Amino acid sequence: MTSHDPGAHDGRNGEPGPGSGRSRDHDLDGAREPERPGGLEAELIALGALLDVPAPPPPDLAAKVRARLQPTDPQEGRPLTDPQGSRLPPDPQESRPLTDPQGSRPPADPRGSRPPTRRSRRSRRWKVVAGVLAVVVAVTAATPQGRAAVAGILRLAGVEIHLDEEAPAPLPGAALLPGERAVPPGDLARHVRFPVRTPSALGPPSAATVSDAGRVASLFWPDGVRLDQFDGGLDPVFFKRVGPPWPQEARVGGLPGWWVQGTHRLGYITRPDGTEVPLRQAGPTLVWQRDGVGHRLEGVPTLGRAVAIADSLK
Amino acid sequence: MDDDEAIARSLDGDLAAYETLVARYSTLAHRTAALLGAGDEAEDVVQEAFVKAFRHLPAFRRDAAFRPWLLRIVANETHDLTRSRGRRADLVLRLGAATDPYAPDDPAGAALDGDRRDRLLAAVRGLPDRERGAVVCRYFLQLTEAETAQVLGWPVGTVKSTTHRALSRLREEVADDLP
Repeated sequence: MTSHDPGAHDGRNGEPGPGSGRSRDHDLDGAREPERPGGLEAELIALGALLDVPAPPPPDLAAKVRARLQPTDPQEGRPLTDPQGSRLPPDPQESRPLTDPQGSRPPADPRGSRPPTRRSRRSRRWKVVAGVLAVVVAVTAATPQGRAAVAGILRLAGVEIHLDEEAPAPLPGAALLPGERAVPPGDLARHVRFPVRTPSALGPPSAATVSDAGRVASLFWPDGVRLDQFDGGLDPVFFKRVGPPWPQEARVGGLPGWWVQGTHRLGYITRPDGTEVPLRQAGPTLVWQRDGVGHRLEGVPTLGRAVAIADSLK
Repeated sequence: MDDDEAIARSLDGDLAAYETLVARYSTLAHRTAALLGAGDEAEDVVQEAFVKAFRHLPAFRRDAAFRPWLLRIVANETHDLTRSRGRRADLVLRLGAATDPYAPDDPAGAALDGDRRDRLLAAVRGLPDRERGAVVCRYFLQLTEAETAQVLGWPVGTVKSTTHRALSRLREEVADDLP
């Protein structure tokens, strides 16, 4: 394999063009070549259009990338990369032109390939929250994951929230819901068996997916906001594992809900065997139920805003 | 929000802005990775490339175009993958393409009948790696010569000459009925 050989020197066959230096900035958006493709060139372009290139829906990839870049300390609320970029060590390679035939490439960042380490910080507030929870939490000694002690389980609107004494390790990577596929946002209602609503407080959604044979309908907005609506009923659909600070109670349209602040482990429960499929670290989420349909609104940073969006569902 | 604004916001730590940028270039990035040899591992390659691109964004020259800068990272990630597994994934025709002849806008007769298309594809697969890379960038991805140079990390002259050699070779391979 030689295609990137820095030592290759077939430049002898052609003069180094103007684009070989930093002048790339000026000619990239110019006339698209080939301007008048000959027969073979046109055939190659036509052939390219026939090649199979599987790709996930762009919002899925964007969400996965974001999940990997997301700071994992829920209290901190800013990315681990600081705006000045001083977190990146100065790299002499970066100042070389990208067209450098020696192949200056962004150095492999060892941290780039795995999620940032969790820097957990215990909040004193959880004790207060726990007092509120005690009324509704079914205390159980079960330790489904076998590692962290579970202080309690909340069940609401098809979401089961396991409260761990200590913050569970963040989930690396991200997975799609079972059978998740993109559909035009306007067609979403046709793919599910329950009424789907859209919040008027947000603009039109940029994408929509339907999952698990119509069990879950998801809407996406470009700023990382996601609304899942699902046929909750009595069986849990999603499970969450959270450490302190535990969820706080919220009211959505006079009905009870839970606000799960910060990032947390999110999974999906498949029927009928109850298998838990780990999905990803989810952002702050508001969970509530209305007319038998479970809702989870993810990615809105504050409870007040999340409730306002939830109340605007039409 | 244009690229420049999205980049500026991303540099300020606005992940939502970066998410917009990722969504915008996701399809092109997948296509680049898959056609340069990542095959069905393109998704992993692209995810990795976007994470790296974010971490290297402070080094991105703001007056430059984002597209080739990003595709360069995608190409490098793809190269690392194909090197580590010792081969490139083959180019595969889309399911159904065999029964659905492509009808290009070009009336000059660039339509590919099934037989010729298969021979051309086989010829592209058989190209030396560098020539195949040039053909992928210039025709399958329809990048300009300057963009190809940046993405592959070659001088523009090398792009010109390599593409020229590839075309000559392909012409020989499928010579019989070329107009």
